[in-house]
Amino acid sequence: MHYQTRYRLSLYLLLLPFVTGIVVLVIIPAGLSFALGFTAYDGLSPPVWRGLQNYRQLMSDDLFWRAVVNSLTFLALTVPLRTLITLGLALLLHRSRRGVRLYRAAVYLPTVVPGVAYALIWLWILNPVYGPLNLILAIFSLPATAWLVDPRTALPALAFAALFQIGEGFVVLIAGLRHIPEEYYDAAAIDGAGRLATFRHVTLPLIMPWLLLIIIRDMIASAQNTFTPALIMTGGGPYYATLFLPLLTYQTAFDRFRFGEGAAMTATLFAGVGVLIVLVWRMLGGWGYDDAV
Amino acid sequence: MTRFERSVWRRAWFHLAALCVAFVFAAPAFWVIMASLRPPGAPPSSAFDWLPESFEWSNYLRLFDLLPLERYLLNSMIVAALAVPLTVIVASWAGFAIAQLPEGMRNALIVCAIIVRMTPITALWLPRFLVLNELRLIDTYAALLTPVWMGSSPLFVLIFYWSFRRVPTEVIESARLDGLGALSVWSRIAMPLARPATGAVSVLTFVQYWSDFINPLLYLKSESRYTLPVGLRILQQMDITNWSLLMAGATIMTAPIIVLFIVAQRAFWAEEQGWSARRLGMKDER
Repeated sequence: MHYQTRYRLSLYLLLLPFVTGIVVLVIIPAGLSFALGFTAYDGLSPPVWRGLQNYRQLMSDDLFWRAVVNSLTFLALTVPLRTLITLGLALLLHRSRRGVRLYRAAVYLPTVVPGVAYALIWLWILNPVYGPLNLILAIFSLPATAWLVDPRTALPALAFAALFQIGEGFVVLIAGLRHIPEEYYDAAAIDGAGRLATFRHVTLPLIMPWLLLIIIRDMIASAQNTFTPALIMTGGGPYYATLFLPLLTYQTAFDRFRFGEGAAMTATLFAGVGVLIVLVWRMLGGWGYDDAV
Repeated sequence: MTRFERSVWRRAWFHLAALCVAFVFAAPAFWVIMASLRPPGAPPSSAFDWLPESFEWSNYLRLFDLLPLERYLLNSMIVAALAVPLTVIVASWAGFAIAQLPEGMRNALIVCAIIVRMTPITALWLPRFLVLNELRLIDTYAALLTPVWMGSSPLFVLIFYWSFRRVPTEVIESARLDGLGALSVWSRIAMPLARPATGAVSVLTFVQYWSDFINPLLYLKSESRYTLPVGLRILQQMDITNWSLLMAGATIMTAPIIVLFIVAQRAFWAEEQGWSARRLGMKDER
């Protein structure tokens, strides 16, 4: 008995670094961020309580609304497209056959490119004069577009660049598809179901939990992963066309030292993503089915 | 086999489609390498071509003249080299403990890990800066390494947990009856059985710290401590039109990761599918 307790105790000791790490690095900062949102703080003099003043100010700030609309537009462009592309590629490449590993590796390749390098590469690809994209369009005698220089195309161009880093969701969906027992397909075939009907009634319901997971994960990622591309490729321009919430937060807090306002923006982003997740969850009907993995 | 594979035509169509997909995803990597070898300063070609007129390998050497690139490389190496073992220790300890604890406790910890994983990192930039500032850790490597304290990512803890769950209970029970403590069971029984998980977590941890741009951007001040991603940003600010050098920089930044994935590929695919089958398996930037 005594030995048992000692063993249990040493297990808790092994757990200790992780748990204290979570508390110090995530829970306390999250609480601190929330609290700072109600203050004016420049990092030098002590914070001053402002109540809801920061939030009221945000509501009447045009730049903030611009960033909100941009962030939502980016989300609306990337999340559905990324999900469809991921699903399509996973359906194409989930069965083991000759060469499939190489194809999967190719799809995964852009995902492992570090953010800064990825942004620089796309800055070059989208260059209006000698970027490969416009040069290829020229081969097909399509008109050249100014992409990042034109306020109308800058945000869609950034969204387009984000469509290729889908490796993680791709791997998750392949695993999900491989989990479906072959007998289900056989049963559907016996019932005379065509390809489309099989997909609609067998495949889709069974991978719904995985799909929902990658959609939610993608929404969180898309809401915050705009930072590096926007900073490196456009700096938020032209004319604020690619100013997203993370970039605005960064500029407010770290360039202008308005930590209170920055914290209020962060809290808004946090709440906004939370609301969106609940909406998507409701729309798609929870996990769909309960699998015992 | 399945209906899909019955005819040769279908197989041909599959390979055609897959080749197109692979081309779209991988061809830009080839362009980038070719662009990095173009003579710098020469007028860029106004038509699309696959190969440059001449291969200027000296572009890569010029980068080292323009920037203290060897310093940035070394700094990135130091940070990644410290992060990998520390992460493996913290994450595997936690994963081991979670696997051994009673069920209620275990489920609570798993849910907690998943919630933490879903927290937007943007929410933590500012307060972490304030905490690090209080602790006088701004402008040190320690500021970049703080996430190792929580195992770099809750995902890594979960990977170890799933891996340790596969160790039969009897093996651990008999070791305990031999009088081994938790730490000895971890080091002598559990870790040797979890080599693929250790490998995968090491690769992912290396990638996380090697690619990390935001933490050095926020928490470093002296140029001598900058890591490669910040160095690349400086290169961009120096001369944004010198594409051959910028692409050479991007290649240097990405090459180690590609090599690492090729080396670890077999273990990585098998393992990753294992964890993602349990509903998680995405990159983290914590």
